[in-house]
Amino acid sequence: MAIELGEWTLALNGASLPEKSLIGGKAWSIARLRALDLPVPPAFVITVKACNAYLRDGVIPATLDAEIRVGMAWLEAQAARQFGGAAKPLLVSVRSGAMISMPGMMDTVLNLGINAATEAALATEAADPEFARDTHRRFLDLYARIVLRATLPELAATAAIEDWQRAIFESTDQRVPEDPYVQLLGAIHAVFESWNSRRARRYREHHGIAHDLGTAVTVQAMVFGNLDDRSGTGVLFSRNPLTGDPAPYGEYLARAQGEDVVSGRFTPQPLAALVTAMPEIYTELLAAAATLERENRDVQDIEFTIQHGRLYLLQTRAAKRAPAAAVRFACDMVHEGRIDQATALSRLSAEQVRVLLSPRLAADATVHATTVAQGEAACHGVGVGVVIMNTDEAERRAQAGEAVVLARETTSPDDVHGMILARAVITEQGGATSHAAVVSRALGVPCVVGCGVGNLAALTGTMVTVDGASGQVYAGSLPVLAPNERDDPALCELLSWAARVCPITVLDETAPVAEVYDLDAVKGGEDATQLATLLAGRKIAKGGAITSDEGVRAALQAGVTTIVARHRLPVMLAAIAAARDG
Amino acid sequence: MNEMHLALHGLAIKKHAGPAAVAATVGLSETRVAELLRQAVTTGRASEAQGAYLLSPAGRLIIESLYSTMFDRERQDDALVAAYDKFERINTELKQLITDWQTLDVGGQKVRNDHSNKDYDARVLDRLGNLHERFTPVLAQLCRGVPRLDLYRKKLDHALDRAEAGQVQWVSDAKIDSFHTVWFEMHEDLLRILGRQREE
Repeated sequence: MAIELGEWTLALNGASLPEKSLIGGKAWSIARLRALDLPVPPAFVITVKACNAYLRDGVIPATLDAEIRVGMAWLEAQAARQFGGAAKPLLVSVRSGAMISMPGMMDTVLNLGINAATEAALATEAADPEFARDTHRRFLDLYARIVLRATLPELAATAAIEDWQRAIFESTDQRVPEDPYVQLLGAIHAVFESWNSRRARRYREHHGIAHDLGTAVTVQAMVFGNLDDRSGTGVLFSRNPLTGDPAPYGEYLARAQGEDVVSGRFTPQPLAALVTAMPEIYTELLAAAATLERENRDVQDIEFTIQHGRLYLLQTRAAKRAPAAAVRFACDMVHEGRIDQATALSRLSAEQVRVLLSPRLAADATVHATTVAQGEAACHGVGVGVVIMNTDEAERRAQAGEAVVLARETTSPDDVHGMILARAVITEQGGATSHAAVVSRALGVPCVVGCGVGNLAALTGTMVTVDGASGQVYAGSLPVLAPNERDDPALCELLSWAARVCPITVLDETAPVAEVYDLDAVKGGEDATQLATLLAGRKIAKGGAITSDEGVRAALQAGVTTIVARHRLPVMLAAIAAARDG
Repeated sequence: MNEMHLALHGLAIKKHAGPAAVAATVGLSETRVAELLRQAVTTGRASEAQGAYLLSPAGRLIIESLYSTMFDRERQDDALVAAYDKFERINTELKQLITDWQTLDVGGQKVRNDHSNKDYDARVLDRLGNLHERFTPVLAQLCRGVPRLDLYRKKLDHALDRAEAGQVQWVSDAKIDSFHTVWFEMHEDLLRILGRQREE
């Protein structure tokens, strides 16, 4: 067992792996990393036993307070820092963690332990008062939102601490405590309370999870990537998540905190910067990535921080991946003997393959093309049509069968009826969260936003090609390529694996088939919700919405044995997934 | 309030809709709305095609010119305006959340979220549920000024319920009363009530 600090708490020293049901998923991950001898910031955990005692008795167990102090003393010794200290202050994160992760549980509070005194100490230590002040601001903001449940305006970076506290008081009638221990107990209490939040209860009822499992609370030392020149922060992917290339890929930012990367305050550098600055740390990081990939049998996304020349892994999880990378990972990891074919297929979605096979501009099509506008890529896909600035006119002409590109200064709900029918949408103003971007993605219409004020009117009536992947708008109608799965060796290999386990037969549309029921020739065939009815009693079918995830599911349920499709792999993956999910 | 004006206001928000959808937005009976919309067509304020109504250009001008008198009381209601300002802050958060729902950041590049990463989706959904919880008291304040807005609460609850039960299209699908669709309509309603302009 990890070190028992008493009845309710455990220090996660890596000596053994406690039960997930006792310490929750998050603490278990930390304990597991330590057991693998990987460097993680020190942490201790308040077990689910304490939560259950609290929920049963309505009060925090009398002896828990003393145990938390023992836990903090252990953290202080491990981190060589002092909680509430006037020099080298220890700040901690507090997170909820049940055996099963569920919605409605308390979000993580970071930088707990900061107050006016520790802010000053941190400012001196990092020689960066601005950083210390911003850490303080972010803590107050998180604590107010998460623990005190305030709805706050953004706390202005330039305001005084008292102004922030006043804004919080106005919203909640409470102040964020100054005393670090009071902060800590408040956060722990809020974790326990969140176990019975409306959403958590509802989720448990929906999924048949017992209400008396309880949640653990993990308290972990914060590490700082901005203390000196041998400190920094970054992200490492054990393989390239965009292309699938096996070489590690990532970003590094010397002398910075993780939030700096997110906030855009600094521009991260490629990993090569770390190789130059601290080659031994880079080697250690790659070794950790290899260990994690082997143990977890999947490509890893690792957040790390280096503090005073020491590496710490903050979080590791299966990497999110672009469609091309998903295909390559699936094939490569089978070839390397890390996973079996069924696992590989389960990690690739039908939609990822559909995206790969969706029409795109030919590689050389843009070489001699004229860019007539450019902006931020908001929804991928290629759309070719005549530029129309008036939404009603765009709708009318599209309904008459014309290919139109809707161009607007910005869009509003008044424009949605035109956006639905447009081949692409382009706007002069707005970014990735603008109405045009959000609605286009919801509709699956290629979209480029923020092309610049006054830049689109001149295009009215001209033919353009919009590339929603690159954010470019080209003059004229450029050749669009429709990829074929048979031309791609990796997709062919996946096809052969999928064919072995696919619950139905999927035929290429060029294959000779008799007696095929064609949904394109049937009213309502393009509506997946109607397929269950339309397909009843049919054995072989094609067209309409049958190749969508929902269509394939309906076909399976209706007892269809064969689907005919232009691309077989997405249909097979959808069928395999539908059979797996029951 | 004049029921005809209310029906036209509902149509201004729904844009292109049948009597049932307009009725569900303004809280009149479907029969009554159907009657009002037919009347609006005869007076040239709306047009109809296959059961769906649309404000005519004249209808749009008329309803917009009516707003300052229709909503005079609301526009002077300080508590309502204060609640609206809170709504705007949460709205900024919602736009980012929906963007995060629709796109994945993969190694610094945005790709479409195909909803195959269940952990990622669960995290975003958790944020949505959290946002909705924080929005609930704000909506209650809005409803004290405009009781009709309670209709949006029911639709938002419904959409969130479906989404949390695993039907992911209820988050942002533009063709159904998803959380984002309803939120957007509510935003449009509030903008018109208070005479504000949308900000990107």
